Amino acid sequence: MSSINLTLKIWRQPNSDALGAFETYLLDGIHTDMSFLEMLDVLNEKLTKEGRDPVAFDHDCREGICGMCGAVVNGVAHGPEKEVTLCQLHMRHFQSGDILVIEPFRSRAYPIKKDLLVDRSALDRIIQAGGYVSVNTGGTPDGNSLPIPSQQAELAMDAAACIGCGACVASCPNGAAMLFTSAKISQLALLPQGQVERKTRALAMVAQMDEEGFGNCTNARECEAVCPKGISIRNIARMNKEFLRAVLAEG
Amino acid sequence: MWFVRFLTSSIGKKLIMATSGLLLFLFLCTHVAGNATIFMSSKVFQGYANELHSHPLIVLTFSLGLLAVFLVHIVVGLYLFYQNRAVSNSRYAVCTRVVKNSFASETMPYTGLFLLAFLVVHIFGFTFSPKTVLISVTVKQLLSNFFYALFYILAFAALFIHLSHGFWSMLQTFGVNHPRYNILIARLTIIIPLFFFLVFAGVAFYFMTGLGASY
Ligand code: HEM
Ligand code: FES
Repeated sequence: MSSINLTLKIWRQPNSDALGAFETYLLDGIHTDMSFLEMLDVLNEKLTKEGRDPVAFDHDCREGICGMCGAVVNGVAHGPEKEVTLCQLHMRHFQSGDILVIEPFRSRAYPIKKDLLVDRSALDRIIQAGGYVSVNTGGTPDGNSLPIPSQQAELAMDAAACIGCGACVASCPNGAAMLFTSAKISQLALLPQGQVERKTRALAMVAQMDEEGFGNCTNARECEAVCPKGISIRNIARMNKEFLRAVLAEG
Repeated sequence: MWFVRFLTSSIGKKLIMATSGLLLFLFLCTHVAGNATIFMSSKVFQGYANELHSHPLIVLTFSLGLLAVFLVHIVVGLYLFYQNRAVSNSRYAVCTRVVKNSFASETMPYTGLFLLAFLVVHIFGFTFSPKTVLISVTVKQLLSNFFYALFYILAFAALFIHLSHGFWSMLQTFGVNHPRYNILIARLTIIIPLFFFLVFAGVAFYFMTGLGASY
């Protein structure tokens, strides 16, 4: 098992109101089979032993499905590898002697709680604004009683792959949350179950997105390039249509 | 009030940019066709200009409409630019663009403002030129000046850059994004602005180099 030595420059900020600054740490003997978060664990053990404050960062599943982890590594959200979350980024992609600048996901709508830990509840509020889906209750429906063309199902599944990590916002030059919101609008708009509230949902989610202080999309495509789940900006194109249709119909 | 909701939303403003961009693009299509007559002869060109101006009401209506479209495009574009600047790239110590060829999308407001400067020069040079001189003569006179023609060529280069993001961006904003057509759209996003550049800048080049001395 090979190992590498790294220099880390990490954003440290005690709380939301404090001024933050970068701190530099030297970390030797990092196994290349470790994940990025395991590398941060090693750093934190070292800091704890030295009686210093460990670096706060979000994480949960560590297998790339929950959307909790994330930081900007050398200017790229979730680091340099395509379509992986930070927890699934492995240290074999780095070389000994690398200097890694690690910053929190930044957005006007993401207050920093501590170090790399940010409050992404603005994204939750966009989902909440979408409201409920009306379904008929009663007995369990028969299989295939609600036929969905496979293409449609695939597109809905592609949109539903969004884990809500918020890297799209962090990487957008305008801090827009359009990729996230469009994925959430698309996954329901594409399915029969989502038709009842289709228009009100699109209007409410877009309104909430604007209210949270996210920026305006200028089609820079950075979001799609860093998305760990490969969500396509085709969803944004779909959202624009959904919004226009809903505005014209609902007023 | 659907209109207020539309105007105050982020996507509504985006759609206004795209719609005004589409109208400007359509205007360019007619303008480029008119200019192309220069390559035939000064007679054909003067004939086209005479024909156009023999319908003053049409010219006036279209000019005012075009002015309105330009104002909307510029005002909304700059509004979005300043709003987005509040959350700009500088929020990171290290900022890496992952998308290749992002130059055009990053410089939209700047290429746009350069086009605005060009429009002022262009309108004062040609639209408000002395009515006693034939327009086919004015064109040759002004564009035979090396620096005047060079400014025109630079402006058309800016237009090329602006549209090399703008054309695709417009379609994406309208919701036109489908794997079956995306390669075609990507090609058109280069070919159409390149065509505009070749014809518009070609006219300036034609007179600047003296090729059109006896047109
Ligand atoms: C002949 C002149 C022009 C044409 C044909 C044109 C065309 C376009 C098109 C098609 C778009 C894309 C719309 C979209 O993203 O959906 C666009 C965007 C833009 N234009 Fe223009 N434009 C022209 C002049 C100008 C001028 C004079 C300005 C002055 C500031 C300007 C500023 C902008 C800006 C800032 C954007 C970016 C908007 C965004 O990305 O959200 N344009 N233009
Ligand atoms: S910790 Fe769950 S996606 Fe990274």
